[in-house]
Amino acid sequence: MIADLGEAEARARRPPRRFRSRGMLVRQSVNSSLVSVSGLIGAPVCDLGGASVGRLVDVVVRWDRGVYPQVSGLVIRIGFRRSFVHVADVASIRRRAVALGSTKVDLTDFQRRDGEQLLRRDVIDHQLVDVDGARVVRAADLYLTHVGSRYWVVGVDVSFVSFLRRLLPARISSRATAERVLDFAAIQPFGRPGTPVKLRRPHRGLRKLRPADLADLLEDLGRSERRELLSLLPVESAADALEEMAPDHVRLLLRDVPVGQAAALVAGMEPDEAVDALRDLSGQVRASLLVQMPAERARVLRSLLEFPEGVAGGIMTTNIVVMTADETIGDAREKVRSRGRDEAVDGLVVVDDDGYLLDDLSLMDLLANDPTTAIREVIGPPFPGTVLPDAGLGDVVEELIGNRGASLVVVDLEHRPIGRILADDVIDALLATDTERRWPWQQRGPVT
Amino acid sequence: MSDETSATPPSVAMTHPPLSGEVGQTRPGRGLRRIQLATMLAVLGPGLIAGLSDDDPAGITTYSVLGTKYGYQMLWVLGVSTIALVLFQSLGARIGVVTGQGLAGLIRQKFGARSAVVAILALLIANIGTTAAEFAGIAAGFELFGISRHIAVPFTAVLVSLLVLRGGFKGIERVLLVLSAIFICYIAAGVLAHPDWGAAFRGLVVPTMPLTRDAVALATATLGTTLAPWGLAFIQSYAVDKRLTTASLPYLRLDVVTGALLTGVIGFFVVVSCAATLHAKGVSINDAADAAAALEPLAGTLAKDLFAIGLIGAAVLAASILPLSTAYSVSDLTGSPAALDDDLRSAPLFYGTFALVTVVGVALVLIPGAPLVAILVLTQVVNAVLLLPLLWFMYGIARDRALMGEYTASRGIASTYLVAIAVITICVLALGILSINA
Repeated sequence: MIADLGEAEARARRPPRRFRSRGMLVRQSVNSSLVSVSGLIGAPVCDLGGASVGRLVDVVVRWDRGVYPQVSGLVIRIGFRRSFVHVADVASIRRRAVALGSTKVDLTDFQRRDGEQLLRRDVIDHQLVDVDGARVVRAADLYLTHVGSRYWVVGVDVSFVSFLRRLLPARISSRATAERVLDFAAIQPFGRPGTPVKLRRPHRGLRKLRPADLADLLEDLGRSERRELLSLLPVESAADALEEMAPDHVRLLLRDVPVGQAAALVAGMEPDEAVDALRDLSGQVRASLLVQMPAERARVLRSLLEFPEGVAGGIMTTNIVVMTADETIGDAREKVRSRGRDEAVDGLVVVDDDGYLLDDLSLMDLLANDPTTAIREVIGPPFPGTVLPDAGLGDVVEELIGNRGASLVVVDLEHRPIGRILADDVIDALLATDTERRWPWQQRGPVT
Repeated sequence: MSDETSATPPSVAMTHPPLSGEVGQTRPGRGLRRIQLATMLAVLGPGLIAGLSDDDPAGITTYSVLGTKYGYQMLWVLGVSTIALVLFQSLGARIGVVTGQGLAGLIRQKFGARSAVVAILALLIANIGTTAAEFAGIAAGFELFGISRHIAVPFTAVLVSLLVLRGGFKGIERVLLVLSAIFICYIAAGVLAHPDWGAAFRGLVVPTMPLTRDAVALATATLGTTLAPWGLAFIQSYAVDKRLTTASLPYLRLDVVTGALLTGVIGFFVVVSCAATLHAKGVSINDAADAAAALEPLAGTLAKDLFAIGLIGAAVLAASILPLSTAYSVSDLTGSPAALDDDLRSAPLFYGTFALVTVVGVALVLIPGAPLVAILVLTQVVNAVLLLPLLWFMYGIARDRALMGEYTASRGIASTYLVAIAVITICVLALGILSINA
């Protein structure tokens, strides 16, 4: 009975036969309209009369215009020479056959120009970033298609099957097998190492990636590709990604990029994360990074570095929003808004004229009150618990729990606010010692 | 390294007369040295582990036979092998650090799909065979202590897999480094055998050998077992997985050279202990376990036990590294790089390969009637044949300016590699010709 049911279910799930064959037809027609680049390599090149001219060595594309790279020419081996044929002189590119447009084509010795890439040499089998999937892939094959008289690279095949197909004889291996094909519009390619990065544009989707995904990408890429991605990214995105990486990897990465870039990255990180990163570097590297930073940022980081690791001063961020009691809720809202989305604002510190802490306003307080209300009228008991910068992690946790909030204000001995500890930083600090421990007996219970 | 030295020009401090007020300036220097020691300890690992795991049971067997058959005469072969090991292990580590990519991925990128698939397929086959050899070594080692292989082999396999699956990168590295310490056993066994040090030294520096097929085969086997393809692939993947960067290259080089030299030193002591006892008494042996057993009446029970413990430790070290090295290479080839800190779900191919290599390796040892000897011989042949293209690929990558940038091998260093590759090619070819004639 049960077996019957299972079989019926399986039958129901499978599409009817006629749809299946149609699916195959679709795939066949898609595959036949795509030209496999790896299959083209070594293909005979003929002139208009059908006489063999030479063999195809590589396909030259330009990245700079449009979403898809456009074929700008072919590299052809004629005898012992490698010549370049402009795409205007190419009549057709089909599976294993390239025809030139006239019997007399303008052949020049091939020289790579800026912004040009060789598909066989620089792209196939190299690392690429699939921006939509947020992962590093290796191109098993690339597919060309033509629209009018132009040829475009539209897809990149990343399947292992297509990779293995290339081992077969040319007659079979040149047939496109669109197995797992990614739209080239979702790809961030890399240039040949050593060529200027400025000519390539960063993919728009890179900005939208979560910092944690970006961090994974950076860790999976080879060294030159990682450096290129780092310099393509806006500094803020790269700095956010660094905050998500393991401390060891951040340290090694910072040592691997030019000092100026490393300084910019550290300066772009949240102060508490930046301090963690700086702490892991040797004294001299740390000093050289601080020198290259904007003076104000360096001053803040230097003062944070004074605190030992594992105390309130070492995990707090000095990035706090300060208000005076005379300002209004509307002023406060404006100040939070001007901070931008990247900076985590969890509350506003209210101080009196001498800079002493009066209260800690939550974002809820901003929402619940009228914009014209003076902050003076909103603040009052119960007053928030605070910690001194040399408070231990245990005290921080205790105060945080007592406050029933998501953050905690750090004050100096005279009760002036100097920073804020966010709950996630506390979690990070609690977990910091445990990331490498995966054996059951190494896993600690909840902190008491 | 370079930016550290340029940040504080030491010459400035030197030219100043040592004023009393400047005493404080020496402090950063001391701090720097301490940090450098810490950095070195953090970098330590790949070279030591990859090097010492080349002294696996197959290696110990080869060295034992070398010592037993030819005494001290062919010690120089070990010296040459060690130099080759130093050369190519440092090259592998350097390529890994500079490109941030594994060997399989780079071969695919530079030499095309066909070369990469053929090389990695050969590596997969050879590694499975070698893993079987390691588990056979474990079996033999435990049997010397009277423990059945049907208990010892599955137990070790589970232990090794657990270590890799649950240990995390640092955990694994620590255990492997502790395992490496077991090799001291061989040095102790060597000393206990009271060798003729003068003769040993002469054998090390004076290259002579009988021109027989057997001697050539043994010389090639020594070279092949010391400079194993999987070791070369491993050190590169490992340096990548450890995320080492060019800043740590000097430390890494030290680590690799130390590891390779230690490998040679241990091989030396194995040869010497066999030469002083078994060769002197004209005993003949077939493998390392024979050697350990034969040592007992000649050099005492302690020497035999040390030899057996060393054999087990060597086998366990290599048995954990071989599946790992294969898993790195296979996932690197498919374009989905994997790391030890990835979990099972995000890296199925990585852990799948690991399981395949381990399970097949164990099965070949435990299934009664499996043609183990034939498999081991085939493995050695595949390893020897694979070594040549692999070295050639590494040479090509090292000379590629686009990949290596400022770290491209200079012409002088490149010619050293070429000489080494030529020597190894001659050895393999000589063996091939002699085998066909015989």
